[in-house]
Amino acid sequence: MSSKPQALTSIGPMRAFAANSKKISVELIEINEKLFEFNKYMTEYYKQLSSVWGIAQKKVNQKVPEIPQDVEQIEAVKRIWIDIFDNDFTELFDSEKFGDNYGNLVSKELELTKHWNNITNVILQSVNLPSKEEIDEVYKEIHSLKKRVSKLELELKKEKRKNAK
Amino acid sequence: MQSESRIDPKIIEEVLKFSKNVIDAPKLISAPDEINLEVTPHKVVQEIDKTRLLHYTPLVETKYKTPLLISYALINRYHILDIHPQKSWVKNLLEQGFDVYMLDWGTPTSMDKYLDFDDYVNGYLDNSVEYIKNQTSVEKISLQGYCTGATIATAYTALHPENVKNYVATAPVIDGWKDTTVISNLAKHMDADKMVDIIGNMPPEFMYYCFSVLKPFEQGIEKYIKFFKNIDDKKYVDNFLRVEKWLGDTPPIPGELFKQWIKDIYQKNLLIQNKMHVGDELINLKKIDMPMFTQVAVGDHLVSPECSMPLHYAVGSKDKILKIYPTGHVGMIASSLSQKKVLPEMGTWLSERS
Repeated sequence: MSSKPQALTSIGPMRAFAANSKKISVELIEINEKLFEFNKYMTEYYKQLSSVWGIAQKKVNQKVPEIPQDVEQIEAVKRIWIDIFDNDFTELFDSEKFGDNYGNLVSKELELTKHWNNITNVILQSVNLPSKEEIDEVYKEIHSLKKRVSKLELELKKEKRKNAK
Repeated sequence: MQSESRIDPKIIEEVLKFSKNVIDAPKLISAPDEINLEVTPHKVVQEIDKTRLLHYTPLVETKYKTPLLISYALINRYHILDIHPQKSWVKNLLEQGFDVYMLDWGTPTSMDKYLDFDDYVNGYLDNSVEYIKNQTSVEKISLQGYCTGATIATAYTALHPENVKNYVATAPVIDGWKDTTVISNLAKHMDADKMVDIIGNMPPEFMYYCFSVLKPFEQGIEKYIKFFKNIDDKKYVDNFLRVEKWLGDTPPIPGELFKQWIKDIYQKNLLIQNKMHVGDELINLKKIDMPMFTQVAVGDHLVSPECSMPLHYAVGSKDKILKIYPTGHVGMIASSLSQKKVLPEMGTWLSERS
């Protein structure tokens, strides 16, 4: 038999939050796992950048063995440095290995965001506010209605124009 | 014997001058909000959702009956086509006697995440064309699309050829598999479904990242060195700041539109194969049968010529021309070359057909 104080807590935010706290724990554990994978791709990302930097710098050193002595020489060295670095980095950014790793990196970052969204949804629901999915449903409905109205308006305009001729 | 290393005094002088310029810069340059990017007078003649249709005030007597509507890209804002009085694409066309309209796509918010290609092509663009036809009492208009705006304009022209008298495609994004830019490599490895599902619209920050990997040392270092070296040159600084302000202002791209873009253009390459759908309709490029002018830039590192040129060969037009200019993506529309060569050629071509 429920007493009055128990009935009160059953509708309060703390009860809703407590009921969903397990979901938050699960999300946090999964965030931890995803962070491990995210870091793996992040490390590879910086490894690729630093490796190309090293190779490009070696090329510059080979092309410019002497320390520049005047303003014109400094300008020339700067030009060589920029051209070689731009070429080598563009080659990297254009490569399959970079695209693949970068795609995975962004994907893991998105999964982390997804878990964060899920945690936020639990909190929102505990205070009787709509979740992201519920708001998205409203946006979708509004979009669909606006589209229908807009198409009807445009058809009407076209029809009026035809009749006016 | 001890070797003696000597430093040219000019080097020290240059370093000191450069440092002084960096220190003086905040006193010499305007803050971004002091720079007005809307150069040529215009009126907002139609607003639908966040989009605005701009009508530019004629600068000379309008010589040609057919009005021109410009469909600007989805990345950054339309201001680049009117960035500076001496480099303004719009002003040049007005001075040639054309009646010019521009479609500003506006700044989508989270609420707009479901806007798709259909909304842009058969909604906003079609509404703008209908408005212009109604106001100017013409049956057909001239349409120009730039970059991603040209992809939308291409889809529109294929679906509504009865409304387009002349079509100008400037650096259009058409054949995603042939694109040789870094952007296309990133796009091909992107999980667009996951991205849109989780974050909704494509955020500007992601686009800034994509821009930052294009010629990173030329654009990220050399450009700013040149800027500080020329800090006393008012004309150079004004131009530089205008372009920088424009570069730093890109709206988000609606999620559904972005998803279709990445998947249909870059990953499956459906548009050039006549397999892409907009709404329920299939786009057949052969239906583009009106006079068409394709403009590409040989040094375009955002949309490579290989990506744009297939449009010229895919359309059904008999009266068509392809021009390749020795410049880059922005240079084609906002430079002295665009004023001296690209625009006069386009103006002559349009005037003969307007």
